[in-house]
Amino acid sequence: MGEAKRRLIDDNGIRLDGRRWDELRPLRMEVGVVKNADGSALIEWGKNKIIAAVYGPKEMHPKHLELADRAFLKCRYHMAPFSVDERKNPAPSRREIEISKVIREALQPALFLEDYPRTAIQIYVEVLQSDGGSRVAGVTASALALADAGINMRDLVVGCAVGKVDGKVVLDLNDAEDKEGSGDMPFTFMPNLNQVTLLQMDGLFTHDEFKQAIDLAKTGGMKVYSMQRDALMKRYFSGASPEMAATSAEMEA
Amino acid sequence: MPSKSFVVETIKRNQIVESISKGRRLDGRALDQLRPLEIKTHVIEKANGSAMVTLGNTQVLAGVKIDKGVPFPDTPDKGLLIVGAEVLPMAAAYLEAGPPDEGAIELARVVDRGVRESEMIDVSSLCIKPGKWVYSVFVDVNILNVDGNLFDATSYSVVAALLTAKMPKFVLDGDVVKDTGERLPLPVHKIPVSVTIANINNTLVLDPTEEEEAVMDARITLDTEDGGNICAGQKGEPGSFTPEQILTAAEWSIAKGREIRQKIKEATGA
Amino acid sequence: MVEITRKQVIPGDVIVTGDFRPGMFVERRGNSMVALRVGLAEVVRNDVKVIPLSGAYIPRVEDQVVGKIVNLTGYGWEADINSCFVGYLPGQFVFGRDFSPATHDLTQRFNVGDLLLAKIEAFERGKDPQLSIRGPGLGKIPDGKIVKISPMKVPRLIGRKGYMINMIAETTALEIKVGQNGLVVLDGPPEGVAKAAQAIELIQQEAHMADLTTKVQQLLGAPVQPAPTGSDSGE
Repeated sequence: MGEAKRRLIDDNGIRLDGRRWDELRPLRMEVGVVKNADGSALIEWGKNKIIAAVYGPKEMHPKHLELADRAFLKCRYHMAPFSVDERKNPAPSRREIEISKVIREALQPALFLEDYPRTAIQIYVEVLQSDGGSRVAGVTASALALADAGINMRDLVVGCAVGKVDGKVVLDLNDAEDKEGSGDMPFTFMPNLNQVTLLQMDGLFTHDEFKQAIDLAKTGGMKVYSMQRDALMKRYFSGASPEMAATSAEMEA
Repeated sequence: MPSKSFVVETIKRNQIVESISKGRRLDGRALDQLRPLEIKTHVIEKANGSAMVTLGNTQVLAGVKIDKGVPFPDTPDKGLLIVGAEVLPMAAAYLEAGPPDEGAIELARVVDRGVRESEMIDVSSLCIKPGKWVYSVFVDVNILNVDGNLFDATSYSVVAALLTAKMPKFVLDGDVVKDTGERLPLPVHKIPVSVTIANINNTLVLDPTEEEEAVMDARITLDTEDGGNICAGQKGEPGSFTPEQILTAAEWSIAKGREIRQKIKEATGA
Repeated sequence: MVEITRKQVIPGDVIVTGDFRPGMFVERRGNSMVALRVGLAEVVRNDVKVIPLSGAYIPRVEDQVVGKIVNLTGYGWEADINSCFVGYLPGQFVFGRDFSPATHDLTQRFNVGDLLLAKIEAFERGKDPQLSIRGPGLGKIPDGKIVKISPMKVPRLIGRKGYMINMIAETTALEIKVGQNGLVVLDGPPEGVAKAAQAIELIQQEAHMADLTTKVQQLLGAPVQPAPTGSDSGE
């Protein structure tokens, strides 16, 4: 017994899918994809296909749990039965429940919940196809959905996972690297406020590797952030240049 | 299914009824006209088959997962075909997360019967080792956006996903089931088509929107297969139909079924 | 000459730096004015605000709203006002001081499914907004086509001093009731209703564009002339 573990990164620093250590997988985002929702976004990241939808502020159910001074934030992360290699039972698993909490806590710091007392804000993250890094993709899409819904936000939240394969710290693990690698660290932050809102880690990192990983996650995250901005601009300003300033000089009435 | 869990303005209710009495619906459709139907397949590459269907604003996504499984004791040489549907809570404002309610369960079971009773898939040819191993085909549908007629949209997505699915070719190596790596289409024999008709103020309308469903007294779903035979039916909601209306509904289902079957064939290359 | 600088922003964007007064949906962080919503940031003299392009309707006292009766309680009607809060119209406000469930039947006046043009009378902390129908034009809406627009775009639909909405109503010969909560009721000849609905859709799509007024005028076949002076946001 004991098959040789395959190499995940070759001598030239090229990974199994052809990427270098600091390259992101192909990434695409679209805002406003669920017609009935107050806000929504689709993210396709590697093979991940994830929809985030937001309803809120809305009436809180059950009413006796409403908060007098702020909105009650709810989040449901759920994977479709066909989203993974082996069909998954549609009932929520313990993993999905934990991830729901972690995603909620990643987004909450960006939201002005105090602006919406006695209401609920509901986030749904539905994974239609999963490929490593689904929770950070979920957070990234949810931030777009929340902005689309017009919830007061301090900043967007953007995520990027880093990991370790064959002893090297690499950006944005895919499914195989996640399963076969030796470290996985999902990471999300508010880009303008420079505040980390989600960090999970499993694997083995030296102190130096850990510092490298944080740095790499931030750099990768900023690239993802510029795509978030583009997606919102496209939806709201028909793809016009993001910094178009219209100056109009007018006679005072 | 939450078709009556929200209030339609009386003004609008009256407008719907009046418009229908004049032979047109509020969105301009004829009484027996379908909304724009779009079917996209191969959208989830990890699944064995998949189809995204939009019918007007109703949007659903079906995914097929095929693996080996243990047959039911009373059908030891027949493959398993299990169809499920979930109305995702994101699909409408009034939905909350939770176990499927009676409406969602009815939806899943009606769509399942429509596919099963038509014998779309020949489950006898999905046996690997009688009594021990058969192919198990799971079709799961996620409803992403609700705007009426979930029955038909869900059914079309299941059918399109099955028509374009690729199953692994399993062989027996002694007692062990091995995946040869080859991929085959499912053994499809028929293309069932579901057609849903609502009764609004004693007038039949095809493919109701959510607003029309909120105003309807009853609905009937009738599935036909390629020969124009009726292979499944379900009446729902607390109103009723006259026998003549049911026969008219059957005529519509057969006629429209033909048109829609053609569309499904074009979209799936079947 | 008043110069207005506009900038397309998303939450977290720095609009401008320096000594400014943060207005709606803007936060000061050190020396920067930061946007808190997706929308058009406007800098006028020292004031910075963001005109959001999406968001729910949060009731404000004096707002005119279109509400749909969804429930009757013992003492009044509950109305869906397209908000996270349910509006409440007390029976007393309609029947008078001597109203009592024992002697008055709420359904005599309004029933579930009825549409009302109402006013937000009060909105106290911890309570649902209270509606009233006392005022010119308020009360049950008998007929019309209901169109929905993002509540954030209603000021654009109304226009400065009502310019936009009046232009639409005149060129289409319609009676138009606009709710601050994003519900608009169009009543009149079908061709006019169709045209007005198109104009409203155009405003919904292009509220952020400077030449919106001209486009709407062209759509309606109205004479093309400049809108009244001042910010197009109708505030």
